[in-house]
Amino acid sequence: MASLVQVENLEKRFGEVRALDRVSFAIDAGEWIAIMGPSGSGKTSLINILGGLDQPTGGRVVVDGQDISRLGERDLTRYRSEKIGFVFQQFHLVPYLTAVENVMLAQYFHSITDEKEAAEALKRVGLGDRLDHVPAQLSGGEQQRVAIARALINHPKLILADEPTGNLDEANEAVILELLRELHASGHTILVVTHSPAIGNLADRRVELEHGRLARIHVPSIAKD
Amino acid sequence: MFLRIVSDSFTRKPRRKILTAAALALGMAVATATLEVSLDVGDRLAREFRSLGANLLVTPASDTLPLEIGGVDYRPVDAGAYLPESDLGKLKTIFWRNNIVGFAPLLDVPVNVAAGNAAKSSREQLIGTWYSHTVTIPDGSRFVTGVSATDPWWRVEGRWFSDGAEEAVAGAGLAQRLGLRAGSSVKIGAGERARTVTITGIVSTGGREDNAVLAPLEIAQDLAGRPGQYRRLLVSALTKPADSFSQRDPATMTPVEYDRWYCSPYISSISLQMRQQLPGVDVRAIRQVAEGEGRILTRVGGLMWLVTIAALFAAALAVGATSATTVLERRSEIGLMKALGASHRAVGAFFAAEQLLLAFVGGVLGYAIGVVLARVLGIGIFGIAPTLRWILFPVVLALAAIVALLGSLAPLARASHADPAPVLRGE
Ligand SMILES: Nc1ncnc2c1ncn2[C@@H]1O[C@H](COP(=O)(O)OP(=O)(O)OP(=O)(O)O)[C@@H](O)[C@H]1O
Ligand SMILES: [Mg+2]
Repeated sequence: MASLVQVENLEKRFGEVRALDRVSFAIDAGEWIAIMGPSGSGKTSLINILGGLDQPTGGRVVVDGQDISRLGERDLTRYRSEKIGFVFQQFHLVPYLTAVENVMLAQYFHSITDEKEAAEALKRVGLGDRLDHVPAQLSGGEQQRVAIARALINHPKLILADEPTGNLDEANEAVILELLRELHASGHTILVVTHSPAIGNLADRRVELEHGRLARIHVPSIAKD
Repeated sequence: MFLRIVSDSFTRKPRRKILTAAALALGMAVATATLEVSLDVGDRLAREFRSLGANLLVTPASDTLPLEIGGVDYRPVDAGAYLPESDLGKLKTIFWRNNIVGFAPLLDVPVNVAAGNAAKSSREQLIGTWYSHTVTIPDGSRFVTGVSATDPWWRVEGRWFSDGAEEAVAGAGLAQRLGLRAGSSVKIGAGERARTVTITGIVSTGGREDNAVLAPLEIAQDLAGRPGQYRRLLVSALTKPADSFSQRDPATMTPVEYDRWYCSPYISSISLQMRQQLPGVDVRAIRQVAEGEGRILTRVGGLMWLVTIAALFAAALAVGATSATTVLERRSEIGLMKALGASHRAVGAFFAAEQLLLAFVGGVLGYAIGVVLARVLGIGIFGIAPTLRWILFPVVLALAAIVALLGSLAPLARASHADPAPVLRGE
């Protein structure tokens, strides 16, 4: 079976800076990958390209049979709304929309809004009683759970999370971790950028970057065995 | 969802929204006032010209110099040239025929007037003309005209004469001198000829007619021995006030300019068209005073348009500045929307909708202020408030929408094409 994601010789330059330098790896459907590495090693650059937020300067990225490095603006927009669920370190919720409306926003750009389904998604992340709260009325962990509900609402092929626990304390990190584990268990493909060894250890594989290059791919389960 | 976001963002940053709406309202107020007043200028001028009566005088081109003292033509009947009455229908075939409101041929005859059976007669002026006469136009249709059309405000006590009857009306001054009243019978003679007519009414015009007898043209022609002829023609035409273009010599115009001139109802172009239809005539504009006034009003109108354009431009700039700030502020929101798969169009629509809402508020306010402004200006210029034109309301709203969208075009484009990655990365 072909991999869900294939990254081949991926390169991203910002002028002189090589944020990504000939990176190649593949992700199978249902896999949970952790991307780790020091600050500035190119993790965000990689995840942005995978999510269609940025275009590579070289190499190829094939997701679900689609070469996204060649997509035009319009197709890239569709790709983002249909295939990808994003979770950001800064949550990025719309401040004046309630929790359920923030989830519905993703539905709106995808197709049509369905409030019941959005509320359902929030219940799944344990926020059934916070539907009508705006982000300012929610804790950081709760905001990130809204973001996760929003990332899941359109049934994406690939969930991309850039340091989802970077702004959270340990207790909240544990909640998010548990959520990610559940998602993984229910068959989602997850790519998470993290500095947290705990998350790194839970993932199926750890992709480690250094200076934009792929340093190594670590398979914790094998190490554990 | 769309409405939710638009209405939410609309109520945020109220001070900036008020500023934008105010800029739009100001621009629209000036635009409304200008539109109201300048539309009114045209109408009012036309109406004023009409109320002044005939504004064109047609005379034979080869006429001798008129010997007029106090408006009375003292030339003998056989001096000077005459024009054929039968040509008059052609006036309604010129390009601007619909602007020809009316015309009345005149034939002045010096006559002896004797009231009733009185033996003594006095030397008076007879003016032969049409009151309400049916003219056959070359295309076969009919047109009723005469002094009833060119000078509708002439007041008559009793009734007007009917064309073709042995009737006449007496000027108020003459009637008093000769002791005439409606129903009097008078004998009018010129040389060997004489007609006896019944006075049907006493007319007062404030002009030379007050001291004359007005009778059907046919009677004057008979007394003068000039059947089917007249000497002067008064024409009332709706004309466009003279402007710099109308002052130019048509001979120096390019074909395109000539066409434009020919197809504008200037006095000069209507005159030319009349000369083309009535051979051997001279057409002169009368009412020069009103003409000059028209020119000033047109110039005032031009100035107001200039101010309007400046105001609209300023409004667009203000809208542009505030929406640029808004876009800058909401960069991360826009980036997020794009990351969630929002298209250019979807992002642009949010901002455009907000601008349109502002345009609506600004437009309504501006229209209201503009109406008041137009009243003040109208009273200042004409002494009368312009008539309200509701059709301007949607026009002004549309104008506000255009200004708001054009003004925010650049920030709008920047917003909808913004790259999501740098926005989401930083902060
Ligand atoms: N827009 C940009 N313009 C110029 N250089 C950039 C840009 N974005 C990223 N870089 C550079 O690319 C390199 C990789 O950046 P990236 O954000 O991918 O690192 P990262 O691994 O996510 O780091 P961190 O852990 O701090 O988030 C860095 O050297 C960064 O300075
Ligand atoms: Mg990063």
